[in-house]
Amino acid sequence: MVSRLVGTATARHFARHPWQFFLTVIGVALGVAVVVSVDVANDAAARAFAVSSETVTGRATHQIIGGPGGLDERLYVRLRTQLGVRMAAPVIEGYARLDGETLHLLGVDPLAEAGLRSHLAGLKPATTSRLLTEPATVALADVTATRLGLVSGSRIALHLGPRTPQVSLVAVIPTNEQNRARLDGLLFADIATAQELLGMAERLSWIDLALPDGPGGARVLARIRAALPATVEIVPAAARSEALAQMTRAFRINLTAMSLLALLVGMFLIYNTMTFAVLQRRRLLGLLRALGVTRRELFALVLREGLLVGALGTAFGLLAGIALGHGLIQLVARTINDHYFVVSVATLTVAASPLVKGAALGILASLAAVIVPAREAAVTPPRLTLTRSVLEAQARAATPRLAAAGVLLLAVALIVLWTSPRGLVTAFVALFFALIGMTLTAPLLVRLATRGSSAIIGMRLGPTARLALRGIDASLSRTGVAIAALMLAIATTIGVGVMIASFRASVANWLDTTLRADLYVATPSLRSTRNPAHLDPDFVSRVPALSGIRHVSSARTVVIESRTGLNDVMALDIPRWFARRFTLLQGKPTEALDAFFEGRGVLVTEPYAYRRRVGVGDSIELRTDRGRVQLAVAGVFRDYATEQGQVVMIRSLYDRLFDDPHVSTLGIWLDDNADPQAVIRALRAQVPSGTEVLIRSNREIRELSLAIFDRTFTITSVLRLLAVVAAVIGILSAFMALSLERAHELAVLRAVGFTPGQIRALVLNQTGAMGLLAGLLATPHPRHQSPRVRVEHGRAASGTGLCRGARAGAGSSTAGRRLSGDTHEPGAPGRKSARGVALSARVRNRHFPASRPSP
Amino acid sequence: MSAPVLLQVVRLGRTYTEGERTRAVLHDIAFEVHAGECVALLGRSGSGKSTLLNLIAGIDRPDAGDVTIAQTRLTRLSERERTLFRRRHIGFVYQSYNLIPTLSVEENLLLPLELNGWEPEKARAAAQQLLSEVGLAERGASFPDRLSGGEQQRVAIARALVHEPALVLADEPTGTLDAETGRNVLEVFNRLLRARGKTLLVVTHSKEVTRFADRVLTLEDGHLLAQTAEVVW
Repeated sequence: MVSRLVGTATARHFARHPWQFFLTVIGVALGVAVVVSVDVANDAAARAFAVSSETVTGRATHQIIGGPGGLDERLYVRLRTQLGVRMAAPVIEGYARLDGETLHLLGVDPLAEAGLRSHLAGLKPATTSRLLTEPATVALADVTATRLGLVSGSRIALHLGPRTPQVSLVAVIPTNEQNRARLDGLLFADIATAQELLGMAERLSWIDLALPDGPGGARVLARIRAALPATVEIVPAAARSEALAQMTRAFRINLTAMSLLALLVGMFLIYNTMTFAVLQRRRLLGLLRALGVTRRELFALVLREGLLVGALGTAFGLLAGIALGHGLIQLVARTINDHYFVVSVATLTVAASPLVKGAALGILASLAAVIVPAREAAVTPPRLTLTRSVLEAQARAATPRLAAAGVLLLAVALIVLWTSPRGLVTAFVALFFALIGMTLTAPLLVRLATRGSSAIIGMRLGPTARLALRGIDASLSRTGVAIAALMLAIATTIGVGVMIASFRASVANWLDTTLRADLYVATPSLRSTRNPAHLDPDFVSRVPALSGIRHVSSARTVVIESRTGLNDVMALDIPRWFARRFTLLQGKPTEALDAFFEGRGVLVTEPYAYRRRVGVGDSIELRTDRGRVQLAVAGVFRDYATEQGQVVMIRSLYDRLFDDPHVSTLGIWLDDNADPQAVIRALRAQVPSGTEVLIRSNREIRELSLAIFDRTFTITSVLRLLAVVAAVIGILSAFMALSLERAHELAVLRAVGFTPGQIRALVLNQTGAMGLLAGLLATPHPRHQSPRVRVEHGRAASGTGLCRGARAGAGSSTAGRRLSGDTHEPGAPGRKSARGVALSARVRNRHFPASRPSP
Repeated sequence: MSAPVLLQVVRLGRTYTEGERTRAVLHDIAFEVHAGECVALLGRSGSGKSTLLNLIAGIDRPDAGDVTIAQTRLTRLSERERTLFRRRHIGFVYQSYNLIPTLSVEENLLLPLELNGWEPEKARAAAQQLLSEVGLAERGASFPDRLSGGEQQRVAIARALVHEPALVLADEPTGTLDAETGRNVLEVFNRLLRARGKTLLVVTHSKEVTRFADRVLTLEDGHLLAQTAEVVW
């Protein structure tokens, strides 16, 4: 139990220096706010997806899925009539845009829904009947209709890929507290209407089954499975949702890691401030010890102060985190929409778990950060004769031990990376070890640097500079901490900055290499990679004959679902000479391309090979319209288009395997003397009325891709900025504390004849030297700061370590394999591609996959 | 003297290591102080006076010898036990006052009482009483930096006595004061000590201080030279 007056005596120190206290609290608050905001946004997006998934799945236990074109609707009829399966319901799924909002379009059979979903149960029979019998009719939840300003009877123009059909809102579904969030954003239509709207005549997206548990259900499942053609598959409903949710794992871990980095900076800040607070009050603490305050009481006292600072900072941080989360959720949702699947977060409900986690982290981090200062306070000798020089001698004596511990931590970081090269979490663990290791070695490096430089530089620059440099070494107990904190901040800034710039340069270079067609034609889509829409076949057939067009290539992108997850498949119709743009990472070019063009094998992208652990010589299984087939992997090539990876095959092979004649995109090469605008006009003239296509030049796509890249990393930049702000506050706090402590020393210097100008120069020299030292320690390799961001990650230093860790965290195909060794530069994008690169380039693939192998 | 022995110092020795050099600060120090006695320890700067005071207070530990206060052997106590012993049985007066700057004058006096678990009302009364006796009854709410040097030292004396310690240790109590102020402070100090029958060991290099002592011990280069039994005032 700490005496009240002892607490008062130490607390009034903060009352006398309110700015220091304020900065500490704000530092903690920022750290907590970043963690909470990212959690809140992540959690909201995940829950929005889960709710959406559950809403769509309903009580379904299994789903029957087909190929890229879905299922033949006659299968559903067979299920019900021949196999007698009553608990089955057909579904057609798509997305539509309305007034800037993405709606999840669900085509269902209202009569079959009762056993699986009760979403339409609130409708009157007459209304349900209208949905069934009247064409182009839809239903919306009341909450969505109100938000969009719609009432029953409203006419709506839906944006559905290339088309903008008109539909009538015939039913507004009443909602209650329980189902409001689930039904918000869903657009219901009868199966026939949905088939018409999505261009899926006689097709279904899937069939839901609600099978009983136990042997009875297993028997029914076996009976259905036996009756199904080889081209379709039954998968557990939950597994399918999980496969989708898993797609965003790397993205979410990346965000979490960034937020933890901010917390680490925040922790350092608390440690920094609390250490200074203890050092400044060393005399007071010594006096208290002499008066009979025990070590344990002093330890508890400082711990209590840390707890108070932590609690206050955490409270502010939670409030700020919720506010920030509102801003971040749109960034998170937008990134998920850009790269993974459509998720709409109309309202942000803050769950308890991010707040509890944030509060626990804030308090525990604060306590962890004050353990060392508290111990320092507890061992304060109860005598007042201990001189400052003795303290500094102790601090200097400790630097080799600290450095040894730092080197040990760096070694642990390397070992962690080497032993678990693919682990995303371990990569970040290693990163944090490396950062802390570097901060521990900082004081020794500072000593060596100041000793060396004061002898050399000091002689030239005179007594002020010499005094400034010696002062850093003489006050190592204070300056070491401040420099380490500043180093961490600079490492954060440079590391993340280099990472993003490096990714961007790689993407830009890759785009330059691959975008070779003059124009690209595609259907508009709400999603990036999984764009089910296709170009009108008549339009496609007319394009090659248009004036001014030299050559046309095409691509078809589809998603093949299976029990093992989702496979992005791309079929390319390209001539052999285009293929030299493939940068093969595995496989002999001639053999691989021969196999590819002859349809004897497929190429897979580097992320696909990494994630599925396949390489040349392996085979992959795909479920096709001809049943399951094994496809030989002929080569692995560099590609930043999708994080999940892609299987690329020649069109002729695709046509043999799938009954899907459609084309997603076209790449168009113009004659040398052709007028691009005239060709675009001619192309537009061929577009069937009521449909929409996107026609863009390669430069536009390049810019669009880089814009998406920048958008993807906006959230990372925001987090980096917050981490830096937290660190800057720490530095400010440290310098304020130093100035306070040095007041006496500076007064003595004034007394012995230093002019105010010399005092200013002394302080500026010392502050500048500390900043320079921190900068040098954080950026051990000058090429990091090259404007072209030619980065050699060959130095196991904090700046690069951070960069690499973040790259690993971003889902790099060789996630944090080691802290040194690879090259990543614009001229030759690293062997180890990164998710960031992959994500950013997806826009190109999204609209214009045909552009990939281009001359 | 018929009063019982309160402080017994037996063959006390202390050395310090500075780098590779070892420096002996105290050699084989032995003396006794009886309850109610006022003993001055005279010596030049660097003679080991403050070190001896730290050893007697249990702040530092001797390399050799023993310190016994009120029949408690400090060398046998743990660090925590020595701290608690100091809290209950020893009062300190320092050369540079060492008042806690963030506590008011009254709070400075209340601190040792609170540490010793006194009832708040009783503690406040005791603090007020002592403040009155040192002539600072009106300055209870002031912070130390608002007081003169002499006033601060009077507060320090009051703080050293307020929790009724068995032994008061003083380290150059007038070292930073002018002669007149120093004399006044010593008079107040002496009056309070005598009125309460407290035991004082004061280290000083000032002959002025020794005038108030019952006995004077002289320390030179870590050796106790002589003991003067006469009452010099």
